Amino acid sequence: MHTARPCTRLERYRLRRTLCGAALCAAASAAYGYTATLNPESPQTVYLQVGVGNFTNCYTCNPQGQPENDTTINSVSVSVAAAAVGNGVAQAMTTNSTATQSFWDNYVYCSVPGQLYIGGFYRTTGATTAAAQVIATVPTALTDTSGDTLPFSRIKWTSSGNGDTGGEPFPAGTFVNGGQQSVGSMASNTWNESCWTFSYSNTTVPPAGTYTGVVLYTMSAP
Amino acid sequence: MSALSRAGSAFFLAWVLSIIWPSGLQARTTAIDDSGSQALEPSVGMHWKSASPTRSSDGNLMVGTTTIRVRINVMPWLRRSGRIYLALPAQQPGPIELSWATQGRFLPGKLQSGNRVLVYSGPIASAFMEDTLRFQFTVNGALMRRAVPVTYHFEMDED
Repeated sequence: MHTARPCTRLERYRLRRTLCGAALCAAASAAYGYTATLNPESPQTVYLQVGVGNFTNCYTCNPQGQPENDTTINSVSVSVAAAAVGNGVAQAMTTNSTATQSFWDNYVYCSVPGQLYIGGFYRTTGATTAAAQVIATVPTALTDTSGDTLPFSRIKWTSSGNGDTGGEPFPAGTFVNGGQQSVGSMASNTWNESCWTFSYSNTTVPPAGTYTGVVLYTMSAP
Repeated sequence: MSALSRAGSAFFLAWVLSIIWPSGLQARTTAIDDSGSQALEPSVGMHWKSASPTRSSDGNLMVGTTTIRVRINVMPWLRRSGRIYLALPAQQPGPIELSWATQGRFLPGKLQSGNRVLVYSGPIASAFMEDTLRFQFTVNGALMRRAVPVTYHFEMDED
């Protein structure tokens, strides 16, 4: 290790003048081996994409992609024909999201407009940690301009992906009527993604109107 | 000389050679004083090799680069020949890969911790040998919970 300083120019001048001085200087500054300190810098990264997201390029592309911010808010909706309202037949919902490809490899993982992409990752150093959690904050109900309401629990989703196998990191579920609910988790240092297919249960006859509500998805890493 | 004495002489010569020969093959390895070397950065910032992880838990590598002005004292071997190695001992936090580029005085290369790689072979014509090396360390991110010191050194095998 380098614990002794190297000779300065003045010291080297003195070295030329006296052999004895040179010997002393060499003895004082000799070192064998070098120590570099490897310092993990900004090792933690989180990325969550619900609907449209943004990458400079895909992960397996050359050059490799970098995650970017994207402020797009996508919607999922359905228009129920008057004759079908409340008939108990679930109504498939569609999204305005155009996200079909995984930013991992550009593979067409989801199909639009029937599916909404959700995916991301959690980067951290050290041994595998507890999984990052994705939480949905759900309003009590969808409302129209007249103040009529529909419980959010009338909306549920299934989960899959083109060519997918195994369990989904973001599994099927049904919205709660107000509050926060877990919608999936991400093991550290892995890419996670699913495609959600939403449907409206259509079991009641609410007043005619356009009912809306906003769900906020939040990722929390340990 | 009789056949017996010739055989005895041959045996003696062979015996002497058998003693000398192995010691002639054993290159003496000596650590080289590199106190004149200077790091251009105080520490090596480690970043993810790829911004995103893979679908499995592999591809979890961190890389960091640093530049070292290497100046090693080879005066003890002046006007002799030798082989200079860069050695990266096995050490914490675990397997480390080190690769480097040079400006020509030494050979570029790559090695895993626990090994050494030749960076120069030939006559030692000056008391000091200098080069600027651009090092790249690669470590599994699972091992990089905090800053870790990594030690390497140069060593000489005398011909």
